[in-house]
Amino acid sequence: MIPRSLWLLAAFAAGGGCRCGTDVDLTLNASGATFQKAAQEVTIDAFTRKFPRIAVNYGAGGSGKGRQDFADRVVDFACSDAPYKPADVGKVKGEFFYIPNLLGAIVVAYNLDGVESLQLSAPTIAGIFQRQITRWNDPAIAAENPGVALPARAIVVARRSDGSGTTENFTKFLAAGAKGSWTLKSGSTIEWPADTQAGAGNGGVAQLITTTPGAVGYVDLSDARAAGMHHAKIRNRSGAYVAAGAESVAAATATIELQDNLIFSALDSAAPAAYPIAAQSWCLVYAQYPDAATATAVKDYFTFLVTDAQQYLPEIDYAPISPAMRDRALERIGKIRGP
Amino acid sequence: MSDFAETPVPDLSAKPSWRATKNQIMTGLMTAAVVAVAIPLVAVLWSVISRGIGVALDSFPAFFVADVPIISRRPGPGMGPAILGTLLATGGATLLAVPLGVLGAVYLHEYGPTSRFAAVVRFMTTVMTGVPSIVMGLFIYLVWTMRFGYSAFGGALALACLMLPVVISSSEQMLRLVPSTLREAAYALGTTKSRTIVTVVLPAALPGIVSGSLLAIARAAGETAPLLFAIGAAHRLNPDLLHGANTSLSMQIFGNATLAFPGAQDRAWGAALTLVTLAFLLTLVARVTTARFAFKR
Amino acid sequence: MDLRGRSQHADRAFTWVTRAAAALVLVILALVALTMTKRAWPVLDKMGFEFFTSSRWSTPDDHYGALALIFGTLYTAVIALVIAVPISLGVALYITQVAPPRLKRPLVYAMDLLAVVPSVVFGLWGVLVLSRYGGLGRSFLTAGIILAIMITPIITSLSREVMETTPPTEKEAALALGANRWEMIGAAVFPHSKGGLVGAVMLGLGRALGETIAAALVIGSALGQISVDPFKPGNSMPAVIANEWGEADDLHKSALVALAVTLFVITIIVNLIATAIVQRSMRRSRGT
Repeated sequence: MIPRSLWLLAAFAAGGGCRCGTDVDLTLNASGATFQKAAQEVTIDAFTRKFPRIAVNYGAGGSGKGRQDFADRVVDFACSDAPYKPADVGKVKGEFFYIPNLLGAIVVAYNLDGVESLQLSAPTIAGIFQRQITRWNDPAIAAENPGVALPARAIVVARRSDGSGTTENFTKFLAAGAKGSWTLKSGSTIEWPADTQAGAGNGGVAQLITTTPGAVGYVDLSDARAAGMHHAKIRNRSGAYVAAGAESVAAATATIELQDNLIFSALDSAAPAAYPIAAQSWCLVYAQYPDAATATAVKDYFTFLVTDAQQYLPEIDYAPISPAMRDRALERIGKIRGP
Repeated sequence: MSDFAETPVPDLSAKPSWRATKNQIMTGLMTAAVVAVAIPLVAVLWSVISRGIGVALDSFPAFFVADVPIISRRPGPGMGPAILGTLLATGGATLLAVPLGVLGAVYLHEYGPTSRFAAVVRFMTTVMTGVPSIVMGLFIYLVWTMRFGYSAFGGALALACLMLPVVISSSEQMLRLVPSTLREAAYALGTTKSRTIVTVVLPAALPGIVSGSLLAIARAAGETAPLLFAIGAAHRLNPDLLHGANTSLSMQIFGNATLAFPGAQDRAWGAALTLVTLAFLLTLVARVTTARFAFKR
Repeated sequence: MDLRGRSQHADRAFTWVTRAAAALVLVILALVALTMTKRAWPVLDKMGFEFFTSSRWSTPDDHYGALALIFGTLYTAVIALVIAVPISLGVALYITQVAPPRLKRPLVYAMDLLAVVPSVVFGLWGVLVLSRYGGLGRSFLTAGIILAIMITPIITSLSREVMETTPPTEKEAALALGANRWEMIGAAVFPHSKGGLVGAVMLGLGRALGETIAAALVIGSALGQISVDPFKPGNSMPAVIANEWGEADDLHKSALVALAVTLFVITIIVNLIATAIVQRSMRRSRGT
């Protein structure tokens, strides 16, 4: 005699398998950079109002995860703040495009009562993140901030625990700007000193900083502003201390060289008014999709991403791509095809 | 019956006043321990209620039915998909673990008090209760999620693996409390063993079994780690148990706990309030069931 | 009543169904051990014993050493025990020996409530309240405190059960000899409950070792931190698995599964010892 509950289970399973009640024809899955997370969220929100029968899931697990998921083809598209290493390009299962969709800034945010503004240069930042400078009133910091009352508090360093394009761009900046004193190299994962704390994603680092007095870390400008964090002015290659913002990011991108595959770097620009840690980000898309409906949906999303969605970016502290970049991007997007 | 000669004799040699003082100090310490335990309990509940009630009641019942906002820094409700996901995963786990657990307990108690096999199973059940939930989560990822993708059912499987040994242990205890006179009366009438169990023993043990299962369900509803590897992430309601990613109250709490935005953190507190209320209700029903209906030791 | 014939087959079928259900426990445990060891093999093959002796956990270099993580797991559990054991024993003693009868039931219910609050809620409170306003930030100590709060109910309720089985004759004998309450506890309750209390503490230890989410939120996620300074940030095996799983490549995943296997083995050993101790002490006290 089979217990009644087993029959119930079978019925549940059979009934539970129905897709009743859903109002979505197609779901696009994506993963990648948390640097872009806010922009993707706003884009998806607006996109689903225009195309209500398409759902888009952006799982922000970091640029590293995004590149990997994209290479394995477990997602329909991905976003990353750094391109594939030459050795990894071969792992991607098909021809793909880099579509630049925004520019942003990486800021050095801090949580220090009573200190409203701070100026830092790459060598000082390198010293802080390598745990050579351990207190806020260290002479190196004081020298760059005359007239600011720095407390004797211990510095808590916040960095990323996951494979991050933000980390990669930040450390590239330090490697260029603090040549000689930055020894940890650059990459999406770094062997940080033991006494540093980690957060998952830009959001996790932001949360670490806001909940820990004396903390400092690198996050994207959008999250920093939204969380109300103070961030330092950084000395650029021309010697000026520049704050991150729309104009300083635009100044940085005025000097970029756009390669054929739409790769470029806005870091450590030589322009006088440029913010030195202006960062770029791309979304990766395949040239061909096995399903016609998916191909159309992806094309619609990417077109939306580089056109209509651009208007929402300044409000959340990103910079839109230039018209020239947009035209070249649209040209690539036009090449996406079905089976 | 203990060996009386082994019982240590209390050392009464110290001065009476010192002994009295020591007694008072120790009683004070014991009372302090109770206070020490009450503090975090009250502090956590206070935080959950005071920080969660605002967003939970904001334009009621929005919090409980609205989708999870795509824009994580936007304040406001809701947790609808998370509540549904918790119910699906926990409900599915209950339907899997409770019948199988009760049947297993029946075997252990009714058929196997003397069997070697039953002793091994009983021992392994206790071992299984100690398996960390993250280990079960990884296990389900390897055998289920990798093949079938994220779904609420994967979460249900993981939770069922956690619930099974608990249900077996508590049900076996309840079966043990059923007086053997009931069984013997049924056998005397010529009833087969299986029929006795189903028609006499189980109904008698039912309140205790229900109560034990409710406690197991309450704990499963709060689990996060196993779901991380099985259920994926979702913003909209997904009533489909078998297909498509889902979310849960516990996962939403975990995800929002690591964000810097007050809106997201508020939603985490609201979800925590919902989850704690759910777990408390289940525990309350369990305790009342035991008190009113079950056989006592 | 027709009590013969067909019922024989139903009876045998029922026996087999229940036996299969019971065997499910063995099947699942075996599957867990097998699948996870298989998935962990690549990294163990590559690193050999160094997996357990190196404290360097580096993804870009494909070098995985779990020493700091094993240390972190054990250290936070020890801190949790140091805090939780005196308090749990104190509460158990209070409930069984000191509390007026009317207070007993509410106290037991209160411990039940503490037990059923999900660990993720403790983690949330830990990261947004305790760590932020408690002045400790994220560290071994903060994680230890949260773990202590979580294992107190288990240790308390098991200790309570064991203490309650102290034969009244022994308690009364001590009192008759002139002992006050504390001396009676020392003379009758403790000697009788020793074994059970040790077992209860070890079961609490097992739970503390396996706790993932609460620890992951407040431990600080530091790399390679082996230090007895409790105010330093650290890391633990379950926290690393939860935090790094999302973006791990093949070898990295294998390393994380190897961590899970290590954790599995450690908690099983602790639970085996604890169960054996508790069962033996309960059997001795009830005369079963």
